[in-house]
Amino acid sequence: MSAPRANVLLDDRTVEFILYEMLDAEALCNLPDFGEHNRHTFDLFLTSARTLARRVLFPNYRTIDAAPPVLRDGRVYVHPLLKTAWPQLVDLGLISATRGPEVGGAQLPLLVASLASAYLMAGNLSAYGFIGLTSGAAHLLEAFGSTELKARFMAPLYAGEWTGTMALTEPHAGSSLGDIRTRATPTRAGHHLIRGEKVFISAAAHDLAPNVVQMVLARADGAPAGSHGVSLFAVPNRREEDGTLVDNDVAVSGLVHKIGWRGLPSCVLRFGERDDCHGWLVGEPNRGLGQMFQMMNEARIMVGLNGVATASVAYQEALGYARERTQGRLQSQRDPESPQVPLLAHADVRRMLLRQKAIVEGGLALLASTARLADLAAHATDAEERQRAKLLLDLLTPVAKSFPAEAGFESTVLALQVHGGYGYSSEYLPEAFLRDSKLNSLHEGTTGIQGLDLLGRKAVAGGGAALHALSDEVSRTLARARACELDPTWAEQLAEALAELVETTTALAARGAAGDVDSMLAHSHDYLTLFGLVAVGWQWLTMACVAQEALRRGGKDEAQAFYRGKLAAAQYWAVTELPRVAGLAALCRSAEGSFSRLEPDWL
Amino acid sequence: MKILVTAKRVEDPESKIKVKADGSGIVQEGLKYKMNPFDEIAVEEGLRLTAKHGGEVVVVSIGPKDVQEQLRHALAMGAARAVWVNHPGPLDPMGAAGLLQKVVEKEKPDLCILGKQSIDDDQGQTGQYLAEWLGWSQGTFASKLDSLESEAEKAKAPAIELSADGKTLQVVREVDSGLATLACSLPAVVTTDLRLNQPRYASLPGIMKAKNKPIEELTPAGLGVDVGLQVEVLRMSPPPPRKAGVKVGDVQELFQKLKNEAKVL
Repeated sequence: MSAPRANVLLDDRTVEFILYEMLDAEALCNLPDFGEHNRHTFDLFLTSARTLARRVLFPNYRTIDAAPPVLRDGRVYVHPLLKTAWPQLVDLGLISATRGPEVGGAQLPLLVASLASAYLMAGNLSAYGFIGLTSGAAHLLEAFGSTELKARFMAPLYAGEWTGTMALTEPHAGSSLGDIRTRATPTRAGHHLIRGEKVFISAAAHDLAPNVVQMVLARADGAPAGSHGVSLFAVPNRREEDGTLVDNDVAVSGLVHKIGWRGLPSCVLRFGERDDCHGWLVGEPNRGLGQMFQMMNEARIMVGLNGVATASVAYQEALGYARERTQGRLQSQRDPESPQVPLLAHADVRRMLLRQKAIVEGGLALLASTARLADLAAHATDAEERQRAKLLLDLLTPVAKSFPAEAGFESTVLALQVHGGYGYSSEYLPEAFLRDSKLNSLHEGTTGIQGLDLLGRKAVAGGGAALHALSDEVSRTLARARACELDPTWAEQLAEALAELVETTTALAARGAAGDVDSMLAHSHDYLTLFGLVAVGWQWLTMACVAQEALRRGGKDEAQAFYRGKLAAAQYWAVTELPRVAGLAALCRSAEGSFSRLEPDWL
Repeated sequence: MKILVTAKRVEDPESKIKVKADGSGIVQEGLKYKMNPFDEIAVEEGLRLTAKHGGEVVVVSIGPKDVQEQLRHALAMGAARAVWVNHPGPLDPMGAAGLLQKVVEKEKPDLCILGKQSIDDDQGQTGQYLAEWLGWSQGTFASKLDSLESEAEKAKAPAIELSADGKTLQVVREVDSGLATLACSLPAVVTTDLRLNQPRYASLPGIMKAKNKPIEELTPAGLGVDVGLQVEVLRMSPPPPRKAGVKVGDVQELFQKLKNEAKVL
């Protein structure tokens, strides 16, 4: 038996396959904005990210998980190991990687940055969290901030000198951001005075950097009620006065005791307890939510990646365990003296591992495809191509966020199951992955909200234009599958599932147009699930085509095994998952009312 | 100070390496390559020394065009420029040292830092030949006592330290019984051991800058070196697979086996 292998976090060969064989990342370098890049810059960066993730982030993961940040005398202290990793993470250059040279970025395609980030997320979500939040805050300032605000706040964020975060949620308003109460009073000096309370604010205070810039949603005095009265403010924990940083009246009143992401502090905050919290308006007054939502595609892609990354590290852990751990004998082996077989020899364990592989790699392909659409939507030279990419990006984003959140969680449950009773102990890692994974269905829009967004807006907007565009894409894959002589039933399953999706959407859209919005949206969650099955089915059929074409070109045994693994997972999705689409579609169309018409006192 | 470092292209140990059926070498197909890890340590040490004392790091590699990948990696880490000796054929340590000697005579560095060995053939000879043929002092297996990069370790004196007058180098080296500290007069050749430092990751800005750094192409003929092999590889074979262990019934049997079969008692 070979020595136990270290968890690789993500399979390098699969990342290479998705980037270069499936999505032709090198073709992006033909676009002028990405002209400075080539496969070599991509590969070097991926190597740096995966090496840091494997050597520094993952080996410290369990230790950091076991000792969350502490609040002492109003200050938050993170795990000392994070302080060692932080400068190395900053030095990678990921915070500004996808931004342009005018803000010090390297204009790396989001596609490549996403896959590089996935290694870091798989290695240690909390450590990556500081990077992701800082990048998001800086990007908001870049998009909407004045020249002065960019110089003051954006520059130190992109440089990694300070960190950033978003402060949206309040004790009474999370999903319902139009109801926030934090106030902003204008002053003659140009800034606003901020007063209010926020909760669940990640990385709002810590000792990794001398300052934190929070992007705060607040209501300016006299602004209308609801979402049209919400503005965005940059609020630093410490503000600059006469060249030094002084306290800006942002108090941490508590830390949330989270079940996962335990390296990243989640803070309860009070702004302006002494009426001395300065905030600077970012962009237009009363447009705060809209501005925030322009950044939502990237934020939701990031959450989807978190889900895939955690599912991947859990899958790799389960795979390693199943190869090494021996237990029992095959049903056909009656000899009790015969040696026990590895877990992997049991068909039911292989079922669980193949399901994890299908979710992890299907999810990763979906995220990568979505990130590539974001690259095209922003950087394609042809206006029509940009528009088409944007249409597909908007449609797929809620799916790319929710599928990994929901199926990814299930995948981490399977990783625990493969470990048997040991999986239920904290001696082994799967329980931690399970805890980390659960956040993905909650933040950046719960799964329920993603379902409403997808069915209520994205799928039906513009007469279903986005869905038509997606149908065209899937049809191209179907034709490719037929041409490369894959098992025809796989393409048939996907074609039927696509037809169900289109028919269901058309029927529900008509119902909505006729004014019956409640019945249209009654099963939006099932619709989201259905959509995920189809979208991932499309990814798997595409990967099967690439694998089949490679197999037909021939090659050595090892390459054959890699491609055959892809075909096995594609087959699995076609025969076990796509047939579920018909049932979900019928449910959506029926608007069956077991829960929607439920009276509260029936429960 | 000017420091010349090496960056040999080697098989990535994470690839599955198989010996060809006829024993003539290893199966190249599907293999990944990387910079020799000991050379990565050499590049890192060179960058630290020039950051402290000024000067530049020049990186050199010998091999086919593909070695430019490893040169770009070293450039992305922070080396100023690169020298590529275009030699696609096989090479032994004497050939490599001969080529490096000519590159050194051309570049005139104050210090050469090489990995103590490359992880493909594990010969561990090139640095020593190079120092001998140049007539330079040598400090091999530069190392540190403890684990890498701990706070305590950082506080200690570095393993390679330049004297105040810039004329000598103090090198801490790993020996069988512990550590030995040498004083070498410059110019010198130093080879790096595993625990010397933890190499930095190529940053994205570094990767982008490396694209525009120059790589100078040289050839063995141009350098006037005959790289005819002094060492011939006759045959390669994989290590024999480990045999399954046996279970012993009791301690008595264990003693018997250790005494009579293993003959260790």
